[in-house]
Amino acid sequence: MKRITIDPITRLEGHGKITIFLNDDGSVANTYFQVPELRGFEKFSEGRPAEEMPQITQRICGVCPEAHHMASTKALDDLFHVQPTSTATKLRELLYSAFFVTDHTTHFYILSAPDFVVGPDAPPAERNILGLIAKVGLELGGAVINARKQNHWIIQTVGGRPIHPCFGLPGGVSRAINEEERAQIEEIGKQSVEFGKTSLKVFDDVVLKNKEYLDMVLSDTYTQKSYNMGLVDENNKVNFYDGKIRVVGPDGKELCKYAPKEYLEHIAERVEPWTYLKFPYLKKVGWKGFVDGVDSGVYRATPLSRLNAADGMATPLAQEAYEKMYSTLGGKPANYTLATHWARLIELLYAAERLLDLSRDPEITSPNIRNIPTATPDEGVATVEAPRGTLTHHYITDERGVIKKCNLIVGTTNNYAALFMSIKKAAEDFIKPGVKITEGLLNRIEMAWRPYDPCLSCATHSLPGQLPLEVTIYDAHGNEVQKLSQGV
Amino acid sequence: MNTLVVGLGNPILSDDGVGIRVAREVAGQVHDPRVTVTETSGAGLSLLDSIAGYDRVIIVDSIQTKEGNPGQIYHLGLEDFSLTKYFSSPHQINLATALELGRMLGMAMPQKVTIFAVEAKDVTTFSERCTPEVERVVPGVVKMVLEELNG
Repeated sequence: MKRITIDPITRLEGHGKITIFLNDDGSVANTYFQVPELRGFEKFSEGRPAEEMPQITQRICGVCPEAHHMASTKALDDLFHVQPTSTATKLRELLYSAFFVTDHTTHFYILSAPDFVVGPDAPPAERNILGLIAKVGLELGGAVINARKQNHWIIQTVGGRPIHPCFGLPGGVSRAINEEERAQIEEIGKQSVEFGKTSLKVFDDVVLKNKEYLDMVLSDTYTQKSYNMGLVDENNKVNFYDGKIRVVGPDGKELCKYAPKEYLEHIAERVEPWTYLKFPYLKKVGWKGFVDGVDSGVYRATPLSRLNAADGMATPLAQEAYEKMYSTLGGKPANYTLATHWARLIELLYAAERLLDLSRDPEITSPNIRNIPTATPDEGVATVEAPRGTLTHHYITDERGVIKKCNLIVGTTNNYAALFMSIKKAAEDFIKPGVKITEGLLNRIEMAWRPYDPCLSCATHSLPGQLPLEVTIYDAHGNEVQKLSQGV
Repeated sequence: MNTLVVGLGNPILSDDGVGIRVAREVAGQVHDPRVTVTETSGAGLSLLDSIAGYDRVIIVDSIQTKEGNPGQIYHLGLEDFSLTKYFSSPHQINLATALELGRMLGMAMPQKVTIFAVEAKDVTTFSERCTPEVERVVPGVVKMVLEELNG
């Protein structure tokens, strides 16, 4: 048996490793996916005042601190039995919308777009943000930087600090905004909506008008019929900040819809002997192994799953884009993994529209930003949608509000089983007897996991815009016969 | 000359936070208004946003190399990034690419970039403290940054 190892050894956080075992004839015998686990967060949290959790949990991840801050703040509302004021709720969602604009922008232009704009088989040295700008022009490059910068300004202004906000308190937020700030946010909201529209046009021009790419999106290699999870509002529209968790099958039927507090009734975790990772699955359906279909409890929590799990978008332009996507892809739900990039851009536009709406809300500059909690704390659970999946924080405290137990289900964790299956399927489809293993081929395997934007504890999102991969091929006796690497 | 000192890393993940440990020490010892000391966990594009407009940037980060010893200090310049094409820090900073992107887009990019990197031992355990091997070199790295600032 031969062995192929994809091992980005130089990465500290987020060191992921794909190992592919080959049969003697060169076909794939099995695939494994492993990442090291960050240890001791529960112990680290125990004994701390719960009010510290929004500050601490956002340090877990260097990529989406705002998501942890928000889930944690909402868990404190629940823990202290206090409802935030209407203005506080709106300010939180406003900041969160700005965050989604920055994060989805980064993911699309740095990680996803180079595969399509520069080409999946282009040399890694060109398949990056620089190659992208060389192709599409400086103007768009400037717009990307500008969209991020402006929305980071909103996060800093509303949240009190760039990247790591410090405004979330049980029952509200720590600071109101004034009219001058509101007007500036409104202006950024307008520009962000235009940027969202432009981004969808880029996708349209580059991917949808290219038959080869559209065929790739629709190909069986990148198709996976798993359950879809996402937060929805009272009208079953996508919501990032609040709502119920809805799960819809690959056949389009609703399996369940539940409040965050009930998550343990719906989600269980599967342990495999070959990895530290635990694989969450749907209890109602059960664990049937790494297989797709309605009888398998494997689910996805990605931008595409959120759209699949909902009945639509709550803002007009995003709704229009939503309808166009499903009509192009042949209806709902869409089980095409690569369409996740498209869904992400629809979410970007939705976030920009929400940002603009909230900036125009008459209550947004109200000084009524906090309800002071008076009840005794005991247990709190909250869920938000992080860019990479449904994020749940669960705290249990003593009567003083000191943490006794803390459980987090972070975005990417939901997708571990599905992610593993996507990689396995791509590896099996691309690595065939007699086929030379090239960098382009490796990239096509990598393209199966890029839509998930796996946050293997943090580090997969920054420049140079690709995961470092190393493929070592061993012969049947374990001797190294070929080595390929990119970005390592 | 406007200078930015950036401590990079995660302050609650053992040695991953060494850059931030150093930056905090440096901040307490520098009183020059032309020097700004900051800390961040955001690399890549976020780093690009942070460094734009400064004449000089000093970055302090953790690193893990194949045969390095915990606590080993590396003093690197931009040329090391172009020479070692595959240099990759925990935060995936490819500074050469970031700077090239900034210049391409007409942003004011620093003329000089210096990196101090400390070989990490443990970056997977949640702790506000570095391991002893890394902790003991913190004063030395602080001194090197201060010398670089004055040099």
